[in-house]
Amino acid sequence: MKAPGELRVKPRRTHHPERVILFYVSGQVFAIAAEAVQEIRSTDSLAGAAMEIENPELAKVRHTLERGRQAYYVVNACLHFYLPVERPTLLLILRDLPVAVLVDRIDRMAEILAIYPLPQAFAGEERGWYRGLTYLDDTVIPVIDPAGFLSAEEYRSLDRSQKAGSGSSELARVVQS
Amino acid sequence: MNAHESTAPPSFVILQIGNRRFALPSETVVELAPPVRLHRFPHTSPLLAGVIVRRGRIVPVYDAASLLVGRPASGQRFYLIARRQADRASDLGAIAVNGECELASGDVLPPGADRSAWVAGTLELADDSVEVLNFSALPAFHPGDASNSRGKESES
Repeated sequence: MKAPGELRVKPRRTHHPERVILFYVSGQVFAIAAEAVQEIRSTDSLAGAAMEIENPELAKVRHTLERGRQAYYVVNACLHFYLPVERPTLLLILRDLPVAVLVDRIDRMAEILAIYPLPQAFAGEERGWYRGLTYLDDTVIPVIDPAGFLSAEEYRSLDRSQKAGSGSSELARVVQS
Repeated sequence: MNAHESTAPPSFVILQIGNRRFALPSETVVELAPPVRLHRFPHTSPLLAGVIVRRGRIVPVYDAASLLVGRPASGQRFYLIARRQADRASDLGAIAVNGECELASGDVLPPGADRSAWVAGTLELADDSVEVLNFSALPAFHPGDASNSRGKESES
């Protein structure tokens, strides 16, 4: 029987199946909307295009990357999710955000029918990391919120580091918190 | 409400965590779920071990053993799913148990002044007395707050 005020945890069903990319970071599988990813490159192929950035406050970002006329902050997903650091081999270059994400490997693409809200008990940083959870092949998989890789304050901090290092900010971008 | 209902003692589900027994008010208990897969993913919320999928719902699993007996649950393969109050609504949560649960009734003594916030009282049984858990209060505490419970277990 439904208790008074009980939260009904219903998935957010999409009108159409949503295509996602499943990828691994330190043995953990994640999903990200395929439309949120512009490009997937190997780290080897981009070694010459990355520039170091020094920001002691933000260990998860150590490099910037130039692609076309756009610059990206390279976020190490292991550090972002507080997972043991492994040697990433791939870079997910995001669409619409100046962020590229270092990951271990791509698993596959898949279609998901629903995203379940993260239970309210999860009250930490994960509320910003994930759009929710999906259930695929008997596995609960967190669905990444691309905007959660860097907060507005982190963008500002990185922009300051960028300016201090190069005298110009390629990444000055207003990100609403 | 009839006279029988008004005088019936409250019932509780007695469960075992580690080597200690605890009680949960039976009206908060939804079900004892069989061993199902615990799904883990990165998060920073204290006391949460992961989630299980039960009857089409994703239910968070609390590592109550770390708090109550001072070490993570081991050999606890069943999940007791209960309602917890969150603000003005209720949500489901689960704790790992060893599957040996029983229903009991008895009088509840109010918690002592030195008891932890997750202890709602003490249930007096014929041969024992067990702490009644306030499930809604559990998630508010970090494992580091469990020193009191660790001390109690070492005494038992």
